[in-house]
Amino acid sequence: MTADVYTTAPAGAATVGDGTTARSRAARRWRSARWTALVLACLVLTVLVLALFRPLTSNTPYAPDNPGDHGARAVAEVLSDQGVEVEHVTRVADALRATGPGTTLLVAPAPFLLPEQAEALAGAEGDVVLAGADGFLLDAATDGVLGREPQIAAPDEPVPPGCDLPVATASGPSRLAPGITAFAGGAALCWTDGAGHAVLAQVSQAIETSSGTRTVTAVDDAAFLTNEAVLDDGNAALALHLLGEHERLVWLVQDPLDVTSSLDEAAPGSALLPPWSGAVGLWALLVVLVAVVWRSRRLGRLVHENLPVVVRAAETTRGRGRLYRRSRSRGHAAAGLRAATADRLARRLGLPRSADATAVTDAAVRATGRPTHEVADLLYGPPPADDAALTTLARRLDTLESEVYRS
Amino acid sequence: MALTRRAVWVAAAGLVPVLLLPSVGTVVTWAALVAVLCALDVALAASPRQIAVRRRVPASVRLGTTTSSELVLTNRSRRRLRALVRDAWPPSMLVDAATGLRRTAAASTRHTVDLPAGESARVRTPLLPTRRGDRHAGEVTLRSFGPLGLAARQASLPVPGRVRVLPEFAARRHLPSRLARLREMDGRAAVQVRGEGTEFDSLREYVDGDDVRSIDWRATARRGDVVVRTWRPERDRRVVVVLDTGRTSAARIEASDGGASAGGTRIEASIEAVLLLAALADRAGDRVQVLAYDRTLRGRVAGASGPRLLPALAETLSGVEPALLETDWHGLVGQVRSRVSQRALVVLLTSLDPSAVESGLLPVIDQLTATHQVVVAAVADGEVAALRAGRDGVAEVYDAAAAARGELERAAVAAVLRQRGAEVVEALPDDLAPQLADSYLALKAAGRL
Repeated sequence: MTADVYTTAPAGAATVGDGTTARSRAARRWRSARWTALVLACLVLTVLVLALFRPLTSNTPYAPDNPGDHGARAVAEVLSDQGVEVEHVTRVADALRATGPGTTLLVAPAPFLLPEQAEALAGAEGDVVLAGADGFLLDAATDGVLGREPQIAAPDEPVPPGCDLPVATASGPSRLAPGITAFAGGAALCWTDGAGHAVLAQVSQAIETSSGTRTVTAVDDAAFLTNEAVLDDGNAALALHLLGEHERLVWLVQDPLDVTSSLDEAAPGSALLPPWSGAVGLWALLVVLVAVVWRSRRLGRLVHENLPVVVRAAETTRGRGRLYRRSRSRGHAAAGLRAATADRLARRLGLPRSADATAVTDAAVRATGRPTHEVADLLYGPPPADDAALTTLARRLDTLESEVYRS
Repeated sequence: MALTRRAVWVAAAGLVPVLLLPSVGTVVTWAALVAVLCALDVALAASPRQIAVRRRVPASVRLGTTTSSELVLTNRSRRRLRALVRDAWPPSMLVDAATGLRRTAAASTRHTVDLPAGESARVRTPLLPTRRGDRHAGEVTLRSFGPLGLAARQASLPVPGRVRVLPEFAARRHLPSRLARLREMDGRAAVQVRGEGTEFDSLREYVDGDDVRSIDWRATARRGDVVVRTWRPERDRRVVVVLDTGRTSAARIEASDGGASAGGTRIEASIEAVLLLAALADRAGDRVQVLAYDRTLRGRVAGASGPRLLPALAETLSGVEPALLETDWHGLVGQVRSRVSQRALVVLLTSLDPSAVESGLLPVIDQLTATHQVVVAAVADGEVAALRAGRDGVAEVYDAAAAARGELERAAVAAVLRQRGAEVVEALPDDLAPQLADSYLALKAAGRL
């Protein structure tokens, strides 16, 4: 090896640029990104199409946008045509926010209404129409004047109103199922059956927070709203009279997941965060985005290197040792140690490779001065009984070997 | 395009206006401001594609020697270049110049340059190769920052560069002592080195101490003065060194002391031995030929001698890597036979793995020993030697028993090879080269070449 291996390579031609132009780079980027772009474009198009052609109807019973048999779109449409502003809400809090003096609140049958929600609705300012309400809501909304005792069947023949409320006289005879009873005076009952169960009951109340009054009207059978039954008897007149009283109608069809009961909870979660949190969140997003772009660009690609497959040579020896150990072949292990020691002793003592056990033993005895039986037992004795004996044997063989080397 | 840390801080500074005027519009405005600033910075940055890059690297370097790759950057654009330059090399070449650590070495390939238009700068990347073979440089990446330091343009330029990493030849420290022994053999009296191959060298006057048996009576009678014959070791013998590059050469072995050469493969120790033996034999006047073979010829050096031999060997052996193949010993013997017809010293550098030797070398060794003097040199594993001495616990004793058993088997294989007429040298990686050289000297002294 001489020093002339350090010659420096002749300076080659300088490299300028990587052989690309702005056009070729743009073309390459377009080629690599076009499928992604295509997929993204398809996705955006699909979302757009779905948003534009979203069905404007639902299939929630008693909902003003449900054109099915159990929906109430017919009534809502007619009311809109007549100039009533129908606001469809699904949460109690929204309903409370939308109501006020000069509005009508319609509560469609709400089996999941919580007691505090019922209390909150009972405090609504403005007229309230309870369609198919349960006993608790009736009780809360009328301060215990009305209650509910549902009847099994609707009357077979139309029943005359039997009261002088304008809405009842306008509707005429009805076959709706009765189920409302009055526990106290002050309530007008219409279409009562023999036992005093009424289809419709109306109570006038003073509004707690202002000086006006409101009427609470309960209709036990909400079927008069549905598209299926609205044309029967005087149902249409009943519905339009009840709901078209005011310019605004708040139509509450409660969402089963709704648990709001007061105005404070109008927007979920917003009450917990300060008003500037949205802007700061957006700012944090901007910083994260910039940081991602900063970290994501690598300074050139990785340089790869083919590394050779490398196997540890001692693996086989270790594996063999573990096999000995697992199968507890102390005999094999001891024989290996003894043979190796005997081999080294024989070489050390100048014996030929063909020397037998007796010759090796005698030579070792002469070299160490130990008793013959001890050396013979050490080198050619029985296999050790346990692991401790094997370890002891290995140590004693070492000692014997060192004595021979010292001599 | 790439952004910098400063761009992140600028974006983060938007918190102040956002807190003063908390609305979505503020954030959007700030984002637009950051985007415009970054775009402006990119537009004002010098184009990395207008920088001329020239690389200078040593053509070859010895393993474990520090060298460097030099880049000369010339700014041919009309703008000032503020750039981060990366001179990429394979991981086995990298080293941290300041600390000598390999873990932090990636940082040493990065250089910051600030070049006015038309000027040049030179950056140096320290290299410390740890593997033999040809190493090719990666691309040179230039990241050119704009005047605001917010964003950068980036390009990777293909600047070719290659460094051939030659074997370390750490065993060359053993060469002077072996050459001294070789000189001692020169001019010795015949009786001390009598053998069939020793050659008559010259006649000289008798001095006190010379063996009277070496007196040449005929010459003494002619000159009237007592003259003795002197002898010299035989010269112009053929030495064929065969490096087995089959699967057994890929095994990783450890030196006895677990020192610098720890974790090398068997072939590394073999190559050291080849280099020392070739250097010694060449000085001794023998003709050296080296073959690297597994199932095909991986490398061959023949016909070189004197100062050209070692560079040729280093060049050839730098590219020899272990192949995960079973060595074709019949083919190997055929190679040797086709290369040398006369008697030669054939040195086989392989392993004494009993199963590999029994199925591979043993069936064919007779064909070689019939005409040649054969030396089988094998690298022992320091880890196995350490295992043999383990007495610390039960597991260690079992391992020691396994190591002892393996050693006996290798000794048995060596004995069989010796019976067939071959010399066997087995040594730990650091000791193989000197022991092989000693064994060569012994054969030469005995005139058995």
